[in-house]
Amino acid sequence: MIPTVSASGLSLRYGRAQALDDVSLRLGQGVTGLLGPNGAGKTTLLRVLATAVPADRGAFAVLGHDPATPAGRQELRRRLGYLPQTPGFHPDFTAFEFVDYVAILKELTDRAARHREVRRVLDEVDLADVRGKRIKKLSGGMRQRVALAAALVGDPGFLVLDEPTVGLDPEQRMRFRELIAQAGEGRTVLLSTHQTEDVAMLCHRVLVMAGGRIRFDGTPAELTARAAGRVWISTERDPAAKAGWRTGTGTFRNVGSPPDGADLLEPTLEDGYLLTLDGAGAEVAA
Amino acid sequence: MRVSRQARAIRQLLLPAARALPWRAPAAGAGLGLLILAVARIVDSDPAPWLAAVLLRCAILADAVGLAFLMDDPARHTTATVPTRRALRTAVRLALITPVTALWWTAALLLVPSQARPPAGALTLEAAAACVLALAAGAAAVRLTDALAPGPSVAAAFLFTAVVAPLLLPDRWALFVAPGDARWEAAHQRWAGVLVGAVLLWGMCLPEPVRRRPGALRVRSPSGTSDPSRTW
Amino acid sequence: MTAVLDGAPVATRDAGRRSSWAAALALALFEARRLLLTLPVLLAFALYVGWIVWRTPDFQDGYPALQDADRAGQTTLLLVGMAVLVCVNQAVLRAKRRDTERHFAVLVLPRSWRTAAHALSLVPVVLLTAVCALAQFGWSALRSGAVGSGSPGELLVGPLTVLLFGALGVLLARLVASPIAAPLITVLLVLMLFVAGGFPAGDGERGLRWLAPVVTEASSQTLPAALLDRPAAWHALYLAGFALTLALLAVLAGGGRGWMLTAATAGAAALAVTGGVLQCAPVGADTKAARERASVSPEKDQTCVRHGSSTYCAFPEWTARTESWADVVHDVQSSAGGTARTQPLVVRQRIDARHGLTGDAALEPSMTPHQVTVGTAWGGNRVPEFSAAVAAVLVAGDEKAAGSLCDGRMVTVMWLALNRLPDPMTSLRDVRLDDSVSGSAIVLSPTNPMSMTAGQTDVVRELLGRPAGEIAPRVTAHWAELTTPKVTTARVAKLLGVAAPKAADRCE
Repeated sequence: MIPTVSASGLSLRYGRAQALDDVSLRLGQGVTGLLGPNGAGKTTLLRVLATAVPADRGAFAVLGHDPATPAGRQELRRRLGYLPQTPGFHPDFTAFEFVDYVAILKELTDRAARHREVRRVLDEVDLADVRGKRIKKLSGGMRQRVALAAALVGDPGFLVLDEPTVGLDPEQRMRFRELIAQAGEGRTVLLSTHQTEDVAMLCHRVLVMAGGRIRFDGTPAELTARAAGRVWISTERDPAAKAGWRTGTGTFRNVGSPPDGADLLEPTLEDGYLLTLDGAGAEVAA
Repeated sequence: MRVSRQARAIRQLLLPAARALPWRAPAAGAGLGLLILAVARIVDSDPAPWLAAVLLRCAILADAVGLAFLMDDPARHTTATVPTRRALRTAVRLALITPVTALWWTAALLLVPSQARPPAGALTLEAAAACVLALAAGAAAVRLTDALAPGPSVAAAFLFTAVVAPLLLPDRWALFVAPGDARWEAAHQRWAGVLVGAVLLWGMCLPEPVRRRPGALRVRSPSGTSDPSRTW
Repeated sequence: MTAVLDGAPVATRDAGRRSSWAAALALALFEARRLLLTLPVLLAFALYVGWIVWRTPDFQDGYPALQDADRAGQTTLLLVGMAVLVCVNQAVLRAKRRDTERHFAVLVLPRSWRTAAHALSLVPVVLLTAVCALAQFGWSALRSGAVGSGSPGELLVGPLTVLLFGALGVLLARLVASPIAAPLITVLLVLMLFVAGGFPAGDGERGLRWLAPVVTEASSQTLPAALLDRPAAWHALYLAGFALTLALLAVLAGGGRGWMLTAATAGAAALAVTGGVLQCAPVGADTKAARERASVSPEKDQTCVRHGSSTYCAFPEWTARTESWADVVHDVQSSAGGTARTQPLVVRQRIDARHGLTGDAALEPSMTPHQVTVGTAWGGNRVPEFSAAVAAVLVAGDEKAAGSLCDGRMVTVMWLALNRLPDPMTSLRDVRLDDSVSGSAIVLSPTNPMSMTAGQTDVVRELLGRPAGEIAPRVTAHWAELTTPKVTTARVAKLLGVAAPKAADRCE
């Protein structure tokens, strides 16, 4: 299958900080999760792939279009939906007007068809009831869904979502995951998040970034499997653990290299993620 | 076909873009400009030509300071990667503000009693240069930073330049000369130069580069959660 | 029981108030640091310091009168004031613009205290301004040629203007929560400056023009400090009261309440009104009398010093400068011949202070024989001008006669005046109104100007080109004929051994 996105050697530097360091990846249809600590370069990678900022080095193509030329970028942008980390709005617009405005900017020029499309995406994100309400009157979760609708409008083939579930309550989060999962059918979705549950529940594939590099690329199950046999429980904080935290029952959950006879636990995606980061940290330090 | 698609996009864009435009600041600036001229006319119905020129220039300054806010766009990040180019989006804003500003300027000129009015053509050149410079400064801020609302900083920078320029410009580059001064003609050739420079600066700031040039000026890192500097 | 209940909350409130003060001070320090590091403020200070460094050495040709030096930097400080206005306004509005107001609103430190902290954050900027103003004044004061005395009131005006503008910025942010307000107010301030600059004495010497933060004068002449009578101290009080009023109004607008705050605001407003009214009061009768006396009969105020055979009478602040005058007189007399070589002169300092600083008035030439007038300024062009006046009095007898010199004697006057100066040709250029060294021109002197014809200019230029040792003996030898009325320029040229001009003398 031809990948939707193929990138090779993407590098980008802000002053002395290397935000992206020789990143290569290929993305196909479905939802791919991007995990990583703050400052790992997730947002930068998403911004580069969404053509919001050009890379210093490296190349990539989306659906066969190369953004290194204005015309190629134009074509790419016609097939792109982007939800930035901090989406902004014109607060005096209604939800409908705002999405309609973005739709015009996405060159949906047939008025009737566009309005149909705007109504469709607003329905899709469950905002049909409030589409006549001004954005400044909407709650944080609703605004986030307006931004998602703006990303979805025009049925883009490639969807870039930067921490879309931040600031949502558990119910909204569930609803949002469903939306994204729907959007991933027949599309390529790249989703950055801090929530390992998002990845575990949504993604068929996961990338872990740290220090501007991709440290892991595989399925969520593979990431979880990394922690198999490396998670244990103890009554005291275990100095041998790479990471450990006190649980609600007063015992300590540890990840790392368990001592002999340790009380092993079933690993989660988060354990795999933490172990991957720890390895990455060691690699960076070396 | 592409061209017609874009033309249609522009037509449909005009109304929402007009609503998205930060009208308040330009309106405040233009309003203050007219207020200055109106109050001056009430106080002194026959001002000296130099005073009329000073009043008109202050009105221009007020309007241009307002225009410095024109590129503010709270939805900037959301619309950063749409296929409609930044140049086109800016052109729509320009198309919306130009007739209003022209109307404002006519009113401003008419508020000055005709016997004291400085040469209208020359003052119009000054007004055009100042306004385009303010817009170009706004465009430069958009081009070089990720700020949603660079307006206050742009206005401060523009104002600072406007206040300092008359003090620091050597005599042979004088811009702010009184009507009837022997340097009037030469000064307005320089104003034309300022206008051309501002248009060029603006033109340079409109395209979105597809490549980052090494060493190219970037004022802010646009990274995500880790970057507190984004706030200003 | 009630007493116990009453007692406890009061103590807590006092402690709360103390910690509010401490927090407001800490916030003020934080904001002050940010304010000082904003780009417009930094640039404005850089320009101001650059201006000081550039202008102070040449201020009043290196012989500054401190009653002028104390207000020399006020206008430039307006720039710093405007930068502070815009920046502090943006700092107050930051919370709203960045939408942190909702968060800050529930913090311990209420909005009124945060406003107060912003107002307090102006203090370091104002202190820095004061240091700059003081440094500029101190630099002038330490120069060897400095005379007179400065006024603390004038020195305070600059920093207080910055405080006033800053307080206006804070108040504006509390009244209009829009970032456009401060730039537009600045435009109005610029307009006010221009218009006020166009009518420096529109309302006469006092009156409403003193309501402007910085009051400039039309005249550049230097008067004795006592005759200046600018109400600088009242003006400083007015500015301080005004700034304080605006700052306290900002705290009120920020939600501050309480009788102490209201009383303080009223007190500050009272200060502003007191200063504002008193500064606008007309010039007092005693000042007018003193000005009249100093202009018409300066001898009543002056002290006279003898240097050599001549007497030098100066206002008390200028007595130290008599030696410089004596040097010039000595140089001119030692080039002269006949009785002029030893003629005792009276050099009298004269001013016309009758209109204060509202305009420059020309001094009438003195008709007293052998009396030379000198002004209050010195250095630069004032030296050859005085030198020309001395030479003219030596040749023509008195200043009135010197003003109508229209014959060959003008050549002698100019040579006498200029030949001993360090750079005679440059001095010739300086002393002539049009800065030329050929053609006819007006020659400036402390009183009425004199005039040179093109022919006289040619001869003088020729003479100044020759070594002084060659011309001086001829001047001494032919002194009587050179100073005879109606002697022609051609004759003078012949006597001094240079080519005669083609054109005949004709005064314009």
